[in-house]
Amino acid sequence: MPSLFEARGVTKRFGGLTALHAVDFAVDRGIASIIGPNGAGKTTLFNVFTGLYAADEGSVTFRDRPLLGLRPDQITALGICRTFQNIRLFSNMTAIENVLVGMNSRITLGLWDVLSRNPGFRRTESELAARAVRLLQRVGLQASVNVVARNLPYGDRRRLELARALASEPALLLLDEPTAGMTQGEASALMHLLRGLVADLELAIILIEHNMRVVMEVSDRVTVLDHGEKIAEGPPREVQSNARVIEAYLGKRGAGPRARSGA
Amino acid sequence: MDVELLIGIFPQVLLDGIILGFMYALIALGYTMVYGVLEFINFAHSEIFIFGAFVGVEILLGLKSVGLLDGLPWPLVLLLVLAAGMASSGLLAVTVERIAYRPLRGAPRLIPLISAIGISFFLQDMIRLFESLWHNAFNLVYPTMDVLNQRFELTETIDVSVKSLVVIGAALLMLWALYLIVNRTKVGTAIRAVAEDQAAASLMGIDVNRIISLTFLIGGAMGGAAGVLFGVQYGLINPYSGFIPGLKAFTAAVLGGIGNIPGAMLGGLVLGLLEAFAAAYLSLLTNGAFGAEYKDILAFSILILILIFRPKGLLGEIVRERA
Amino acid sequence: MIHSLIAVAVLALSAFAVATFPRSVLVFLLFQGSLLFVYKARIPERLRWGLLAIALLVLMPAIGYFNSYYLEVATQVGIFVALALGLNIVVGLAGLLDLGYVAFFAVGAYSWAIFGSPHANIIFGGEGFPLAGWWFYVFLFVGLGTAAVTGILLGLPVLRLHGDYLAIVTLGFGEVIRVLANNLDKPINLTNGPKGITPISRPPTPFGMPYGEYFYFLALAIVIAVIIANRRLEDSHIGRAWEAIREDELAARSMGVPLVRMKLMAFACGASFAGVMGVLFSAKQVFINPESFTFLESIGVLAMVILGGMGSIPGAIVGATVVTVLNLQVLKGFSLWLNELKNAGVTIFGFSLADLPTQFEPAKYERMVFGIILVLMMIFRPQGIFPARRRQRELAH
Repeated sequence: MPSLFEARGVTKRFGGLTALHAVDFAVDRGIASIIGPNGAGKTTLFNVFTGLYAADEGSVTFRDRPLLGLRPDQITALGICRTFQNIRLFSNMTAIENVLVGMNSRITLGLWDVLSRNPGFRRTESELAARAVRLLQRVGLQASVNVVARNLPYGDRRRLELARALASEPALLLLDEPTAGMTQGEASALMHLLRGLVADLELAIILIEHNMRVVMEVSDRVTVLDHGEKIAEGPPREVQSNARVIEAYLGKRGAGPRARSGA
Repeated sequence: MDVELLIGIFPQVLLDGIILGFMYALIALGYTMVYGVLEFINFAHSEIFIFGAFVGVEILLGLKSVGLLDGLPWPLVLLLVLAAGMASSGLLAVTVERIAYRPLRGAPRLIPLISAIGISFFLQDMIRLFESLWHNAFNLVYPTMDVLNQRFELTETIDVSVKSLVVIGAALLMLWALYLIVNRTKVGTAIRAVAEDQAAASLMGIDVNRIISLTFLIGGAMGGAAGVLFGVQYGLINPYSGFIPGLKAFTAAVLGGIGNIPGAMLGGLVLGLLEAFAAAYLSLLTNGAFGAEYKDILAFSILILILIFRPKGLLGEIVRERA
Repeated sequence: MIHSLIAVAVLALSAFAVATFPRSVLVFLLFQGSLLFVYKARIPERLRWGLLAIALLVLMPAIGYFNSYYLEVATQVGIFVALALGLNIVVGLAGLLDLGYVAFFAVGAYSWAIFGSPHANIIFGGEGFPLAGWWFYVFLFVGLGTAAVTGILLGLPVLRLHGDYLAIVTLGFGEVIRVLANNLDKPINLTNGPKGITPISRPPTPFGMPYGEYFYFLALAIVIAVIIANRRLEDSHIGRAWEAIREDELAARSMGVPLVRMKLMAFACGASFAGVMGVLFSAKQVFINPESFTFLESIGVLAMVILGGMGSIPGAIVGATVVTVLNLQVLKGFSLWLNELKNAGVTIFGFSLADLPTQFEPAKYERMVFGIILVLMMIFRPQGIFPARRRQRELAH
């Protein structure tokens, strides 16, 4: 059976720097995590997947459709959505307005519908609002529906970003460090939520994470990047004990900075 | 099509182009230096430029009214007028920075830009106000100095006025002086450092605010010099004469690569030449279908095209937005 | 209850005062202030809109009977309110600083000017033009459409630009349009260059109403339509998409907002309002020339939007009113007052005002007014007098 999402040989260069080198990655269902030291190219990979960067080499397909060359909004319309490492909410819009923007690719109303306020428009708008409230309930923000995003506490902002990403009804969700800055308790709760979403919505999730406990707990599969290359992939336990992975994170045993100078 | 005529006017057009080009270059320097250190378009620079022209004309008119204009040797008069124009424009630029731009330094980019537009308009009418009250007229004519109107014959068909040579000479001097300041002095190095990386420069002990003020001073002074030369060369000024040359000089700065000083000089020259040739030949070639005013469209079109297709200009660098 | 009585009293008194002192600029300003008071007062909605309707539909024309200049001012305010609301969409909602907005106004104005006057005969030959007066109503839509298309044409190349560069390019476009208008009298005489086009036909008025009142009511009607369109756009996925683009373009893109389409829509919608008003303007003025469509006008409209508050409908209305009144009434009134003082031989500190240079005419200092407004607003209150409030979404259950 073909994979839902498949990337092959993805290479991305910035001038003289090769940020990604021939990276293969595929996901079909469940939660796949991408880990690696800082600067490994994880977010760059997401940016290529979502159309923000153009890959120099390689191919990316989603449901057998090639994605390279498509614009980010086109990719979202196809069923892939993401969150950002540095949280990019629409700060001056309320929570529900943020989620409603996320639904943009699913709205079929036109300019004339808007200007004439016809019954179709009214019906659609109230359906959208209802759906948005349900999404906010799902992520636990039912009390903050009309709160301006800027005023939400940090943890709630991450949840809002998640709700907004879910608004476009994606089949594949890309989450960039969703538990960053959270307490262990909050992180676990979020992971529990994600597992629930995967089960209920038949969602596939790709997770970039630094929190190892979370990664081990929730992932079906873990991929490790270092300096733009994939150095390991497999079930969490396997990867955890992989020598190369340990080396990438901790450096060669008993060696000082000189040993890594060739890397 | 009278080919002989077309070739015949060529040297004159070339000369006009060079003069215009140097003038644009001088004004463009003000835009580019400020953009270099602040990444901000000083919209009011066109008024700083014309302010210099007005200071110049006031001094000349003053000298004339006390009968000194023809008495003093003309290089002295010119020097005086240039110095006064440069000083006042420079100071005006510094003042404007302090009052209207510095309070807005942290704000989103559009806010200081709008403030600059406001200052530009305000200055236009302030000059008008002052001149209306002082002279009861705001379309002022630069008093002529006969010696400048004499013409030299270079060849049989080409002659050039002393005035033109003086303007070119002064402009070259200014540009060379600026080059020296920016590249050979400590101050110049500090300016380049701030333009490169403000945070790092301040960590190196450079007083960034002072350097920014200095940049406005120097850029403004260049504009003021251009203003005086503009007045001397073209004779007639009004408070609104700065707008279009300012916009064109900005085009020149962008053409050369905004933030890049040699770029501003190059851009100025290229634009000046293009415009002079367009003004002279467009009308001739199309039998009057496209009049001289289309040269303005030429400049604006160049501006639009560059910003869309090659925003880094001829010599500049691209600034990339991080995802 | 008390508030309602006060509101009615204020309105009635100020209207009465204008009728009593038709020449006093101050009193007329008071009347306009009372409209603002009624808008903001804490009174029942029905009363508020009822009073405003009476004020605009009955009182204002009545005032026009006492002093027709005031009706002219009111009509001009209406025109600029529509322009400000249009620019508000581009700048305030979508966050695209357009410094050449007046070009759309010009396009609309020239579209009717050409076909509604004998000038079209010069272009097309023959004697078929001007079109009959009632074509004006058709051209309201033609002007809307042409301006919208111009908006899209302008939008296409500038899509990838941001902030300063976008502003300068739009400024350039505005200037190009102006220079074209000024020079397209050869090789084909499209615009008649600096001489302008005249006489431009006016439509037949209903009930034989005089033109002063007619254009006032028409402007009012168009403004109401523009306000409704504005609110509906704001309160829809389109408005939300624009706001998202303004907040964070990258995030908006990634959430599925089609940038190109949305930006072009913003330009087109904003431009269309200017286009419609342009058609009204040319019929009202009977004569137009490129002088009415300069950078000064673009900045004037920008000053209105900024003063009132970007992205805010009441803000745009208040901004347009204040700036127009400042220029048409305050400055002009100041000029007139100064003249009276001069003629009366008044002296200040021994200096006779009659000795003031004749070139000094306060009415001409619009630029200074705009400039001061822009700078002061940016430094002290960049959000405007009536900043856009986050509109609470009403949840339909």
